Amino acid sequence: MYTLVSGAYRYFTRLDEYNILILGLDGAGKTTLLEKIKHLYTGHPGMAPNRIQPTVGVNIAKIPMKRTLVKFLDLGGQPDLRGIWESYYEDCHAIVFVIDSCNAERIEEAKGALLGLVKAGDLDGVPVLVLANKRDLMGALSLAEVKEMVNSMADFMEERDVRVLDSSGLEGEGVRAAVEWVYSRIIDNRIKRPPIVPDT
Amino acid sequence: MGHYVSKFTSLFGWGDREVRILILGLDGAGKTTILYRLQIGDVVSTIPTIGFNVETVAYKNIKFQVWDLGGQTSIRPYWRCYYANTDAVIYVVDSCDRDRIGTSRDELASMLGEEELQEAALLVFANKQDMKGAMSSAEVSEALGLPRLKSRQWAIYKTSALKGEGLDEGLDWLVNAINAK
Repeated sequence: MYTLVSGAYRYFTRLDEYNILILGLDGAGKTTLLEKIKHLYTGHPGMAPNRIQPTVGVNIAKIPMKRTLVKFLDLGGQPDLRGIWESYYEDCHAIVFVIDSCNAERIEEAKGALLGLVKAGDLDGVPVLVLANKRDLMGALSLAEVKEMVNSMADFMEERDVRVLDSSGLEGEGVRAAVEWVYSRIIDNRIKRPPIVPDT
Repeated sequence: MGHYVSKFTSLFGWGDREVRILILGLDGAGKTTILYRLQIGDVVSTIPTIGFNVETVAYKNIKFQVWDLGGQTSIRPYWRCYYANTDAVIYVVDSCDRDRIGTSRDELASMLGEEELQEAALLVFANKQDMKGAMSSAEVSEALGLPRLKSRQWAIYKTSALKGEGLDEGLDWLVNAINAK
């Protein structure tokens, strides 16, 4: 009886799940962004930014949003870890690509990594948000410059939603706007990329 | 049932639940040394563990109940008796033991396949970094097949239990990963 009731309860309260990948070069601020998202949406204090180490592995934040469960996966960005990314493409519903806009030297490398993503067959039609991060620092590339970089690969984007926004994962500026844009896109795109329905 | 009661009480801040952590890995990886490094902050001389050591470790206002289970071939089948209600697994690898890294991968894979550990966070310590010829954390992570783990929080840290390096960074990650669940 208990099993029946709890099974029915789980059935009616289960949430559709969406996966959002947070990708980008090492040091772009992916984990800091993830911690900020956690903080803004769950109130959980998160890890102090100065204690955050380069990620070798995967950090996950599960955030309930409007009767769905959104999983943000922050994957390590060091060159020898980028191979991990691929195994997550198939089950992903959107990508947030984080760029350190203060690091003009690595912008070509970032562009290459982003190009790899938009060309990946498993990611056809997946919405991409390019986030020009670290706006709080001096000497950051302008939003227009980052947009120009993204526009230059328009040919490869094919049919998908793409947007460039700026943010400060550290201060929290622009983080809500970024999450809201991505969330609205995954919902619009749910016919092409249906949510994961958890087993009951 | 007890599990639900404790979940419920912890909602209200009473009944301060202890976080349950297992330290696993092949024999000689350094599990017991890590346990006592965490608990008393010092290196104790250890003998191969037959059975288990269990200690309470306080770290950042969180109480961990840490189980260090013996790693010899003959006693590995008993690990599964301890899986229930586990919040996280610390998996310790001897980064110099290239011959047995495959065995270590197989044990890890069969452990992670267990139903009771589906929600557990995984922290890998690539231990014995103080020794010559130690594999890098990237090598260890590749050899263990970590990149192919799906929908699990995991991290790997280079550690030297002997020198006490890397353990705090790993635990910081673990505390945060458990809180976020």
